[in-house]
Amino acid sequence: MKVVTNQLWDKFSIEFLRNQVLKNAYGNDDTVIAKIDPRTLLIWYVFFGVLPWFMHNPTLLLGLFIFVAVTTRLTKVAPLVLFLFCFGILTQSGYLLIVSWFFGGDLATLGPILIMTLKVAITSLASITVFSGLNPDRLASGLLWFGCPDQFAFSIAFAYRILPILMEEFQNILLSHRLRGKSPNSIGWRGKFRYLIYQVKIIMFSFLPLMLNIAKRSRTTVEALELRGYRYANQNKIIKKMKLRQLGMGTVDVYFAIVSIIWLWGCFLIV
Amino acid sequence: MNKSMTQSQKLMVFVLSMSLYGLATLFTELIPSLQVGIVEFSIEYFIFIPIALAILFDPLSAALGAATGEIIFSEIMLGQFGGLGELEKFVTITIAIYLAGRLVRDPKNVKNIACIALLAVAIQQLMGATVDILKVQFAIEGFEAVPGLPESVFFTEGFACLNDIFFSGIFFSMIPTAYLVPRLHGKIEPLLGVKPRDRETQLSGVKLSPKVIGICIMAFIVGIAGEFLSEVGIAIIDWEASWAESGISIFMSMLLAGVIITALVIKFKRRQANLEVMYD
Repeated sequence: MKVVTNQLWDKFSIEFLRNQVLKNAYGNDDTVIAKIDPRTLLIWYVFFGVLPWFMHNPTLLLGLFIFVAVTTRLTKVAPLVLFLFCFGILTQSGYLLIVSWFFGGDLATLGPILIMTLKVAITSLASITVFSGLNPDRLASGLLWFGCPDQFAFSIAFAYRILPILMEEFQNILLSHRLRGKSPNSIGWRGKFRYLIYQVKIIMFSFLPLMLNIAKRSRTTVEALELRGYRYANQNKIIKKMKLRQLGMGTVDVYFAIVSIIWLWGCFLIV
Repeated sequence: MNKSMTQSQKLMVFVLSMSLYGLATLFTELIPSLQVGIVEFSIEYFIFIPIALAILFDPLSAALGAATGEIIFSEIMLGQFGGLGELEKFVTITIAIYLAGRLVRDPKNVKNIACIALLAVAIQQLMGATVDILKVQFAIEGFEAVPGLPESVFFTEGFACLNDIFFSGIFFSMIPTAYLVPRLHGKIEPLLGVKPRDRETQLSGVKLSPKVIGICIMAFIVGIAGEFLSEVGIAIIDWEASWAESGISIFMSMLLAGVIITALVIKFKRRQANLEVMYD
């Protein structure tokens, strides 16, 4: 456990995190999934996100799992995202399994837990496909088309834009904290623990100046938005239509829909 | 004198809360948890950020901003979007932060702030645990019949909930909020062009009325309902499965599906190869 913690801590740097997230958002515009219309993908996602919860047949679930695994492969997701997915799934199910053994569960308990894990895996992979495969601007306009509140659609596009600035700002504050303070000795088990606590504490303290800095920025942002008539534009149907003009379904969408339907149908037939 | 905030100031609070809490969730998502036996010292969330903002500014904007920020930064950006399940998190976080912001009367009263920050975590965790237990019950067929499973789910969820209330509640909500709010009060407001909040500040709707609580409960029920759609869905799947009986039709459709998939895979591969050549 300790070793794992340390390795994770070494890997974790703000630079790395920023690169991974941005690569995930903008680095895969050339994939097949990115060419699909966001609306098609969102409908597809709703289907794959809901359907597994109503199924209890392992073969059927396995079929769905293979399909979403293939689509995830096609999106070329960043390794960090895949790692987080695997880590989350394994720890959650493993923990539940171990505890259930304490309460007199046996190997028969493994089956239902595996099925549940499969369901969670299908929905998460489907979401990775859609939300990592699409670039944020397209995702936002797809959501807007479905009548999602424009504040949310705006937030998605905005979040990706502000992230590099936020990270940089945060890193600067963090570094100045480190320069001023003396970090504890990280030798030995207790030293490592103290070091971890120290790091978390610094991160938390850094939010005080960060809050002030970002407050300034968010005022600037909102004022710039207001100057361009953001709130009025949102209520205007003509402007919304102009915004959504870039969307269009093509042959890729048709192929994608056909493959999905046939695959599902095939799965049902096997069962 | 009108002391309530204008629409654009509310938008500022929303943007501020969204970006800060979003950034914080990006980190908490990645900081490893420390497990000592079954007690988990994990950093659930840096909820002190939106709670502090909700106390200092407009509670609803801060709450909605935080919930949105969490979904966008930690779920969508890291590809962990859990579908309708996120609705529950959105609703519980919003309710907890909103209530915290509404309950504090005076941002200078540190004791009051500390208690309410802890209370907000408790509210959020209790709602979350309820939904989680129901979710497992729904996902596993014949939940009660599986040996050891119901007890272990109740145990793990209940324990995790208490664990989080005390660990996250004290270290990541109570202490930091009590530390931050007095330091930010009067300093951060001018940056947004807002008057510092005090006892006389008019929030939209003066008191925490039964109506507000009723709306919160309703929203929570909607959040749960998002997770459990009716059992009709199960019936449809069963019906379709029994309908497929002809061996030839199965074989033919499988073959067709296989052919189409291979064709597509080849096509995709080729396109990818072309692109890679272009980039080289």
